[in-house]
Amino acid sequence: MITQRGFVVIFAAVLFLTSGFALGGNFYLTTLGVYLIIGLVVSLPFFALTANIAGIEVDRQVDKVKLFSGDFLRVRVTIRNTSRRHFDFIEVHDQYPETWILAIGENFIASRIEPGSSITFSYILQARMRGRYNVGPTEVVMRDRLGLHYYKRSLKAETEILVYPTWKDVRRLDAIGKQRQLGLMFGSHRTKIVGMGTDFTGFREYVPGDAFRLIDWKTSAKRGDMVVKQYEQEKNVQIMCMVDTSGSMGNGYPENTKLEYAIRAAVLLTHMGLERKDLVGTCVFSEVVHSFVPPSTHPNHMYDVLESLAMAEPKGWSDYESAITHVIEQTRKRTLVIWLTDLEESPGPLLNAMKTLVANGHKAMVISPFGPWFEAPVGQFGPVEKVLAEAVSEELWERRRKIARALARFGISVVNVGPEDFLPTIIKTYEQAKQRGVALF
Amino acid sequence: MAFLIYRVMDFNDVWHWNAPYDFVVTVFRLLSLLFFFISFILVTGLSTAITGTVPNELIVGLYNTITLRTWYMQPYGVSGPITNVNEVFARFSVDIFEVLNSLLENTFLFLYFLCAGIGVALFLQSLVRMEHKFVGGAFVSLQMILVIAVLRNTILATLGDFGIVLPFFGDEHAILDYAVFPSNFFEFLFSNLQLLVLASFAYLELSYQMIYSYSVGKPVEDREETLKKQLLALRQATRKQDAIERGEKVSITAMSRSSGAIAFSFLREAIERKVVGSQDALENLDAVSDVRRLQIFVDELLQSDSRARDELTAKAAAPSSSYVIGSTILGSAFRFLTVIAISFLLMSPSAFLAILNPPMGIYNSIEVLQPEIVLLYLVPVVLLFPFAAMVISWFSKREVLDEPKLTKDEKEELKLRKKELDDKKKQAARRRKERESVRRRMKGKPEEKDEWDKALEDTYKP
Repeated sequence: MITQRGFVVIFAAVLFLTSGFALGGNFYLTTLGVYLIIGLVVSLPFFALTANIAGIEVDRQVDKVKLFSGDFLRVRVTIRNTSRRHFDFIEVHDQYPETWILAIGENFIASRIEPGSSITFSYILQARMRGRYNVGPTEVVMRDRLGLHYYKRSLKAETEILVYPTWKDVRRLDAIGKQRQLGLMFGSHRTKIVGMGTDFTGFREYVPGDAFRLIDWKTSAKRGDMVVKQYEQEKNVQIMCMVDTSGSMGNGYPENTKLEYAIRAAVLLTHMGLERKDLVGTCVFSEVVHSFVPPSTHPNHMYDVLESLAMAEPKGWSDYESAITHVIEQTRKRTLVIWLTDLEESPGPLLNAMKTLVANGHKAMVISPFGPWFEAPVGQFGPVEKVLAEAVSEELWERRRKIARALARFGISVVNVGPEDFLPTIIKTYEQAKQRGVALF
Repeated sequence: MAFLIYRVMDFNDVWHWNAPYDFVVTVFRLLSLLFFFISFILVTGLSTAITGTVPNELIVGLYNTITLRTWYMQPYGVSGPITNVNEVFARFSVDIFEVLNSLLENTFLFLYFLCAGIGVALFLQSLVRMEHKFVGGAFVSLQMILVIAVLRNTILATLGDFGIVLPFFGDEHAILDYAVFPSNFFEFLFSNLQLLVLASFAYLELSYQMIYSYSVGKPVEDREETLKKQLLALRQATRKQDAIERGEKVSITAMSRSSGAIAFSFLREAIERKVVGSQDALENLDAVSDVRRLQIFVDELLQSDSRARDELTAKAAAPSSSYVIGSTILGSAFRFLTVIAISFLLMSPSAFLAILNPPMGIYNSIEVLQPEIVLLYLVPVVLLFPFAAMVISWFSKREVLDEPKLTKDEKEELKLRKKELDDKKKQAARRRKERESVRRRMKGKPEEKDEWDKALEDTYKP
């Protein structure tokens, strides 16, 4: 293949040749033109012979194949010349996903490589969005010394990287927790059941067999009779997080779509649950159930949830009935089902799903991202778009109000959320569920 | 090359150092003449229209003196005020041809200087910035001097054929040429023409080889420099954040702006995010946290892996300079000799006649001695090289396995994923169907209307 530079040489050669022919038959210009053309092509067969691109091997190593969105990853690329000839000039471009950021170093190198030798270079990337990505392929360009010819080859050695949803919300929550010196308690909601909790509920008379440490000596002295302190018993709840991944959930700013927020909320909820020894499961669904992670407190549970959420892609439509049927089949205990859905499907199937859910003794609530709040601010629109956006927004709101009213009849509340209050709402919901003692097991 | 071209043209006495000045002056002379004539026609025409007669000498003289001479608009070379209308027109026809002739000759001289100036400027540029475009530009610019000189000769010869002689134009320039292409290789090799061609080609070849030697080691140096800047910028940004957190005042110096955060895309992005999201404290927190985490990541990496820095800079990739220089000299010599030999074989009529053995008519024809005969061999021979390269690369490509071969496990996993999704879809469709059929059965019993459906209907009542 001739490079752009090669074409410039051809142009100059043709210019001199034609000038030599046309302007009185000048041998100087003709000879110069001939030299340029011969100079351009003479080394072509030798270059083709030496630039046997099959002699190049690329090996890519990454520090880890699973990481969180926002984490850094070092990529090491080794280029080996397995042939018996040297490559005069080799350019290697290691490609990385478009959404990622090159943090340190460069993802390409240009050098000469001797037979049997190798070149290693590395660079650091920041993974920006969750999902399954491929680092690579590596593009190898070989040029001759004068840069007049080149051969290009794309080595399809790709390294698959799984990027989990961002962990920053959890970090933030932990940081706040540490600041406030919050204890990671074994349950924190109140129940009417007297037991081994931490919140004081009252006194009762001492009966033989009670632990001495429970005796309240001050009160016993006042009453003249032995009394023991009683505490509220704490229990755990079981929560199922239903993440809707239908196409409409993908609307919004990139990296800030409704689905991204729903996923962040699910991660946060699972983390909080695990910290307090509650059971939190996750179901990712659209027209089919893409993944179901049953509620558990297993050490690897968080990674199972992260993996299922990492793969979520906004497409298809929401089949609430299939999703809840699947969950009910898999879940025996009473569960609080938190739906993270934008409610943009027809209400019939949704109500049917809720009916099934309540009929099976579960509790439910819907945290619903409201579409227009995730789109561009109305202020950025022109007058016509503004009116249209407001009209659409009003219609959607009205529709949502009706659905909320219908669901309220069955004791299911709908909380409309935007990007700002999505995560606080999920934390609040979880805390309230714990306090109210919903879906205890 | 430049010196040889200078000598060739100096033989024709073209390097009059005042030529560019003369050219500019001539252009202005032409313009002033045209302006004078047009303005004069306008004024005379208006005056004639108003008075009904050609303006008398007094008016013409006054106009020429007051308006044109006072404002330095009188044609160059005219000493006194012209007072007669007819004299003005008669003089114009003489002057315009004189200026045009002078301009024609000056244009060529000016173009020689222009090309030489551009060539030298690009050559100097190529010394500082080792780039092909500057070398190529210098080469073409300098060669264009000879092309223009040949063009001038052709114009003169063509005009001469039509019997037109331009008095200011001078004689044809003597440009390097063969009357008959030499049949002896050494005569060809040591001729003046060949010396200039060789010098020109050598300049191009050696410059390109030098650029190669430079560019093959430079990326590694650049890489090291970039990494240093990035690490420095990162360190500065982290320190600055620490200082801000401690409540200290931080000043942004010009130094930190040029070599620091702005020069580093990751930091730049982090800063931009911070600026854009100034209303949102969380966004700020993200940007700050990203920079700090990167600093920690890099520190840990450099501490835990002793080769990490060398790999980031790709230090080991720098080729040995002695080998590069040696191979450059050998490569150039080989190309040089090959090009000369092939060119001689292509251009020499004796080689052509010996190989093709043409009939006597062609053998003795004048066309054999013309430069165009080179095309007869040039085109097929030139095409032969890419063809050979194509055949070689076609064979080499057989060794390339572009399509990755999936391992058995990978294939199995891929199949399993697909099957799982299909199963899920089928299951979901079956359940939907079942639900539909149950609903249809229930529909036939109006008295057992579901209270949930009723609720929905109630909800949607207008």
